[in-house]
Amino acid sequence: MNRRSDLWLAYFMILPVVAAVLAFVIGPTGDVFTLSLTRIVMGQERGFGTLSNFQALFADPVFATVVKNTAIWILGGTVLCVTTGLMVGMFLAIDSKMTTGLRAMILLPWVLPDVVTAMAWKWMLHGQVGVIGDYVSRLGLTDGAISFLGNPDLVMWMLVIVLIWRKMPLVALILCAAIRSVPAEQIEAARMDGANGWHRFRYVILPNIAFSLTAVTVISMIWITAEFTLPWVMTGGGPANSSQIMSTYIYQQSFQFFNWGVGSAMSVVNLVFLMTVVGLYLYVNRRSWAAGGEK
Amino acid sequence: MQNTLGRRGFLAGTTAALALASTSFQARAASGDLTVWKFGGTPAEVEAWPAANEKFLAANSDVSLNYSFFNGQIRRQKILAGFQTRRLADVIIAFGQDIPEFAGFDMIQPLDDIVSPEVMAGWKDRIVPEILNSGMHDGKLYGLPTYVDMATFVAIDTDALAEAGFDRPPATWAELREYARAMTTPDRPGIAFPATTAPVDINIFEGIAYANGGRIFDEETGKVTLNDAGVVDALQLYADLIADGSTPTGNSMTETNFRDTAQLFGQKRAAMWIGLSWLNTPWGVQDGMNWTGAPFPKPDAPSGSFPPVAALMDGTAVLMVSRRSENTEAAAAYLDFWSQNEQLNIWGGNPEIARVPAGKTAWEQPGLAEVWPAWVDSYNAGTLFEGAEPMPRFIGVSAVESALGTAIQQVVLGQKTPQEALDEATTAAQNQIDLLRG
Repeated sequence: MNRRSDLWLAYFMILPVVAAVLAFVIGPTGDVFTLSLTRIVMGQERGFGTLSNFQALFADPVFATVVKNTAIWILGGTVLCVTTGLMVGMFLAIDSKMTTGLRAMILLPWVLPDVVTAMAWKWMLHGQVGVIGDYVSRLGLTDGAISFLGNPDLVMWMLVIVLIWRKMPLVALILCAAIRSVPAEQIEAARMDGANGWHRFRYVILPNIAFSLTAVTVISMIWITAEFTLPWVMTGGGPANSSQIMSTYIYQQSFQFFNWGVGSAMSVVNLVFLMTVVGLYLYVNRRSWAAGGEK
Repeated sequence: MQNTLGRRGFLAGTTAALALASTSFQARAASGDLTVWKFGGTPAEVEAWPAANEKFLAANSDVSLNYSFFNGQIRRQKILAGFQTRRLADVIIAFGQDIPEFAGFDMIQPLDDIVSPEVMAGWKDRIVPEILNSGMHDGKLYGLPTYVDMATFVAIDTDALAEAGFDRPPATWAELREYARAMTTPDRPGIAFPATTAPVDINIFEGIAYANGGRIFDEETGKVTLNDAGVVDALQLYADLIADGSTPTGNSMTETNFRDTAQLFGQKRAAMWIGLSWLNTPWGVQDGMNWTGAPFPKPDAPSGSFPPVAALMDGTAVLMVSRRSENTEAAAAYLDFWSQNEQLNIWGGNPEIARVPAGKTAWEQPGLAEVWPAWVDSYNAGTLFEGAEPMPRFIGVSAVESALGTAIQQVVLGQKTPQEALDEATTAAQNQIDLLRG
C-alpha cells in the first residue's frame, strides 16, 4: 500500500470514534451552550442571546460555596489521588509474592459499583452507628462518636478520602506499570554512581514516567470532575450546602428545580474551569509529557 | 297516548346510544402497548402492585403492559429525562406534590379529557372526596390518588414513656419538650427527627409548621413565606429540642434521613421519632419492643399568619397520564382498574397498614379498624380530613423546599438562628421562583 491509501485507511478506522464524539459529545455540548444563553420560563424557551442565566448564577449566594467545594474536590482529590497512587505504585512495582497478590486485590474498590461504595462509606462514617467513629471513640481519641458527614468542617475532606479510596487503585496500577518499564540499567547505573533512593526516584524514575504521570493526572481530574454518585448518595450536598459541588448543584438546578438555563450555565462554567486547569497543567508540563509521548 | 318518536328525539337518542356504545367499546377495546412507571412505595407495596397488574392483564389481554418501579426520590429527574427525550411512560405513578409542575410543564394531561363522564362518576362514587380532590389542579383532575400520607406524626416507645412516668402521648409542644427531656437517658436520646435534604424530611417539618399557621409560599401574592412566624417558631422547636439535650447531636441528625431515623427508633436508640402517617408501618423493631404512633403535638398558641391546619396530606401513588401518551385508551383503562374497590383496599400493600386509604370501602375493612381504631372512628364521624390541606404544591415547590431544607440544617447545626436562616432561605427561594416563573 502507498502512503495515500494508508492515510485513507487511517481516516476510515477512526471514523466510528469521530462519529460517536460528534453525536454524543460535541452535539450535547453545543446544546448546553445554547441553553445557557437561552431564557427559559416554565420549561419553555423564551429567546436566545441572553446572559440572564449567568447573571442569576453569579448572584446565587450558594454558588461561591459550590466553587470553593469544587476546588477542594477536584484539586485536592486529584493531587491526593495521584500522590498516593504514585506511592502505592512505587511499592507495587517491587517484585515480591506479596505485591503480585496485592496488584490484583487493589482493584477491589475500583470494581465495586459507585452506589454500593457510597452507601457502605455513608454507614461506616455515620455519627450514631458508624464503625469508624466508634473505633475512634473507643481508642479514647474523642469524647463521643463523630459525625464525619454531618460536620460541615469535615464533610468535604471525608468525601475526598472516599474518592481517593475509590479512584487511587487504577492510578497506582497505571503508574506501577510505568515504573516497571523504566530500564533497569538506568537505575543500576545511578545506583553505581552513588545515587540514593530519593535521587534515583527524582532523577531517573520520575523523568521516565512523566508522560504516564501527566496522562493519569489529567484523566483523574476529568474523572473527579464528572463524579456525581459518591457525593450525592453520601451527603446530597449537605449539611447546609457544605458538600455541594458543581456536579451535584447542576443536577439539583436542572432536575430538581427545573432551572435548565442556570444548570446549563453552570455546566459551561464547569467546562471552562476544567479546560483551564487541564490546559495550564499540560502547559506547565509540556516538556516532560511531550518528550515522553515521542518515545 | 301517542307513542311516536320525533326527528329531534330520534337524533338525540341515536347520538346518546352511539356515545354509550363508543364508551363501552373504549372500555372493552383497550389494547396495544402501555408503559407504566411507578415511583416509591413501601416494601409490601412494591410487591402488591405487580401482583395487581397481573389481574389487569387478565382482564385486558390485548394490552401489553411494561411496568417499571423506581425509587421515589428520583421521580422528577426520571420523568423530566423521559419528557425531554420523548420517551415518557403512558402512565406515571408519582406524588401529588408534583402535579402543578408536571401540568405547568405540559407533561401530564387532565384526566377529564381522556375518560368518559361515566367512568369519572364511578371514581367519584368509590373514592373519598377529600382524597380525590388531592388530584385536582386548576379545577381539573390530573391524578387519581390511591391513598394519601398525612403529616405529621410521632412514634413513641411506650416502655420508655411508662418509665418516664407518662401514660399518654404528648399533646402540646411544651409537653413534647418535657416528655423528650424526661425520656432521655445517657445512652438514648428522648427524641430524634430526620434533618437531611431528603424531600420527605422537609415534608415532616412542613406538617409541624403548617399546624402552627405557617406556610412556605403564598400563591395569591407569589411570595415565598418561609420567614413567617409560623415557620420560624416551628424551627425554633427543633432548636429547643436540641438545646434541651433531648436529641442526638445536630451533626448526626443532618446525616440521618427518615428511613434511618426509623431504624434507630426500632433499635431503641431513640425513645420517639417524628415522621408521616406511614410510621405506623412495621419498620422493623426489636422483639418485644412496645410502641405506638400519635399525631404530632400541637403548638400551645399558633403563631403563624395563616390558619393552622389539622394535617397535611399528599398522595404518593397518584396515577397520571402523560401528555406524550399515544395509547390513552389503555391508560384510561389502567386508571379505571386502579379505581376499583379491590385495588383501593390494599392500603399500599395488604396486609401492611401503612397508608391512609382512598377507597370508601377500604374504611369498612375490619383489619383497618383493628390497627387504626381512632382513625376509622374519626373517618366515620366525618372529621378525619377536617382542617387537612394538601402538602405544599405549586410551580417551584422543590426550590422552596430545598431552601427550607438548608435552613433546617443550619439551625440544627447551630450555625444560625431560625429567623436568620429562614430570612436567607426566603430570599434564595424567591430568586429561584422568579427565575423559574419568569
